[in-house]
Amino acid sequence: MIGYYISLAMRSLRGTPILSALMIAAIAVGVGASMTVLTLNYMMSQNALAHKNDVLYAVQLDSWDPNEGFARSNNEIPYQLTYQDATALLRSDIPTRQVAMHRFGFTVTRENTDARPFTAQTRVTTRDFFALFDVPFLYGGTWEHKADTSPTKSVVLSKRTNEKLFGGENSVGSIVELNGMPFTVVGVIDQWNPSPKVYDLNNDPFSDSEELFVPFGLHRQLEIHSWGNTNGWNSGDNGLDGYEGFLQGEGVWIQYWVELENQQQKENYEAFLTGYIRGQKEQGRFQRPLNFVLTPPSEWLVLNEVLDNDNRVLGWAAIAFLLVCVVNAVALMLAKFLRKAPEAGVRRALGASRNAIFSQHLIESGCIGVLGGILGIGLSMLGLSGLRTLAMGQMDKVATMDWVMMFAAVGLAILASLLAGLYPAWRISRTNPSVYLKTQ
Amino acid sequence: MFELKPMLSALWRNKVAALLIALQLALTLAIVSNATVIVKDRLTSMARPTGMDIENIIAITFMPVPTNYDMAGAVRADLDMMRSMPGVVDASVTNQIPVSGSGSASGYFLEPNAELGDVTANYYQTDPNFINTLGLNLIQGRNFRLDEMRVRGSNESGGANVAIVTQRFAEQAFPEESALGKFLYHGNDDKPIEIIGIVERHLGAWPSWSLAGNVVFHPLLVEGNHKRYLVRTEPGKRDTIFKQLETKLSERDPQRVIHLETLTEKLASTYVADNIMVKVLSAVMTLLTFIVALGIVGLTIFWINQRAKQIGVRRALGATRANISRYYLVENTVIATTGLVLGTAGALIINQLMVSEFSQPAMPLPMLAVCAVILLAVSLAAALVPALRAANISPAMATRSV
Repeated sequence: MIGYYISLAMRSLRGTPILSALMIAAIAVGVGASMTVLTLNYMMSQNALAHKNDVLYAVQLDSWDPNEGFARSNNEIPYQLTYQDATALLRSDIPTRQVAMHRFGFTVTRENTDARPFTAQTRVTTRDFFALFDVPFLYGGTWEHKADTSPTKSVVLSKRTNEKLFGGENSVGSIVELNGMPFTVVGVIDQWNPSPKVYDLNNDPFSDSEELFVPFGLHRQLEIHSWGNTNGWNSGDNGLDGYEGFLQGEGVWIQYWVELENQQQKENYEAFLTGYIRGQKEQGRFQRPLNFVLTPPSEWLVLNEVLDNDNRVLGWAAIAFLLVCVVNAVALMLAKFLRKAPEAGVRRALGASRNAIFSQHLIESGCIGVLGGILGIGLSMLGLSGLRTLAMGQMDKVATMDWVMMFAAVGLAILASLLAGLYPAWRISRTNPSVYLKTQ
Repeated sequence: MFELKPMLSALWRNKVAALLIALQLALTLAIVSNATVIVKDRLTSMARPTGMDIENIIAITFMPVPTNYDMAGAVRADLDMMRSMPGVVDASVTNQIPVSGSGSASGYFLEPNAELGDVTANYYQTDPNFINTLGLNLIQGRNFRLDEMRVRGSNESGGANVAIVTQRFAEQAFPEESALGKFLYHGNDDKPIEIIGIVERHLGAWPSWSLAGNVVFHPLLVEGNHKRYLVRTEPGKRDTIFKQLETKLSERDPQRVIHLETLTEKLASTYVADNIMVKVLSAVMTLLTFIVALGIVGLTIFWINQRAKQIGVRRALGATRANISRYYLVENTVIATTGLVLGTAGALIINQLMVSEFSQPAMPLPMLAVCAVILLAVSLAAALVPALRAANISPAMATRSV
């Protein structure tokens, strides 16, 4: 029966080409526009760490100005830690894994090659980074434990950097020069480019992940400052000069993550943090009310507003747009179905039930939905490529459609058209056959 | 005279179709007016003057390869070389690129050793050539002198003791009096920084910052692992100079990585988000209006076809073509006005949400009225073709049975 209805529907669509084209266009444009924006928002709110959402936490400590909260964050606690707090927390053995890190940059050269030097985005981090964020290794592995606290010139390369410098060969044990100093390659990671970069949402969350990774113990030797946000409130001196004064200062610039596998471990860690802050208070630091927050990745994305107000406004505009298109399709379908009323009258007179008339017309709207959906996918791909152009390369990773979103587009189109067809199909199924029989 | 009473009772019997048109117009008005508010706000912010000769400025970032590098010497040599190039108006060293979205800010106090009540500003570490390089308009006081320039390592403390500020910063820090000759302090120190000059305006590093335009310049060179230059060229020579600079800088010192950008490029990429909002919302508004218009055309045609016999009867009874067209146009106006009144309420409710939930600007009522009038015109235009067609229905239709 459904096959017959579909063939009836197609025949009916061909019978009124202009009205049908208008309906398909209304659904297609509605689905196309809304899927363009919804795809963008969906891709932007991906959580690459969803599978570890129960065990990973971003750490925030309120070390800020006694006179006012940290205005730039949504919970009024700095997103990052001071160096002295980060190194103190690293001494705890409660978390299964823990990472202190920030963004940096090196010039990269290789001895005896004439490759031009380039600047590489770098992550200065502790060795647990790779295991904690599930970074796959192609060759070698992370650096030894002591490199996190004492200067060791080791480096882990990204796959692409390894291709650029070593043609993709196993480069473990080779030397690269960073800022002119020799570093030994200890590992090469495989393709790894989460979007958004849940682990660092501070600086352009949709940029590519880093090209180099170096140990956290290098700060003093290389006098490393962050290539990301550094915020301070206390510009006064702490009795220390130069770089040491910066390290022991109150500026926040280190990102901190911990892996806590169960509730017990989490409670222990919370007790540890409470104790640590109390101890610091006794030494005159942490003058604000005792406050720290452990945030899982999914909430970290929300707290950092990866999806900002503009995205939300566009999302609602897209949904409202689709709604208008649906109302439009209701009106057009009503017009079309009522015009076909005599035909339905004859079918009714020949014995078709109201239900049969209703489902036949609903299937016709469904067909409009499928056609509109397919056209809509094309339109939203066009829309997304338009967005990529407008974004000047800043959205190449998020303004793309995956299979999920394509199926969602067709699903949305069918849903929209069925919704639009519901009233017109009901209306036509209620027609009194005798009216039409009289005038035939 | 407009046959309103019979029209309304006819509409009442066909209320679903009329309601659907009214509903579409209501939703469209609510969306379009709110989108217009946002688009207008973004366009205004993008059109703000930067205070600079933005078209002719090139920004350069460089990073030396070796760690022990004579940064101060390199900066001096580079600037001398660039300033002597034909076609270059001036060149200057800086800690940040204007309108790039990345830079430094600090709180400035008006009293020594203060902890509260600072005025926040975007600050530049630059040199006496910056005013000429950026093309800023110095409205009070004087430029930096070469002997006021300080050079220090990135971990040494101490800064400049003079500053040039923007008029906006001057007015915010010293609302009642002239800022010229006044002093600024950093927190917890008592080293005065004298304000020696005021420039008309400079948008600073972050155009979307709420304090954009609060800018302080210091004559200071802080040696670090990278430095930046700004170069202004004569009009029309930017792209030629751009290529020459790339070669000349790497020839002078091959032991570094150099990156060049134009400020026009930088400004465009800073405004990317606003530009996307403007373009996407404009597309939504245009498509929406178009779709609603198509819907009205389609539905009015259907409606008139349904009432062909009735029109024939009226024509046979003496109604003129103009009468018939007018009937459908008035009917459309009644429906559209109902929809637009509903839409006005909807637009205001949505705008409330936009202001409170998404910190978007509030809607000025004249703008809402303009949107409503435009939509009414669109609706009438859409109804015009079917209404004129209706007038062509012959009186003979009255005698036919459909």
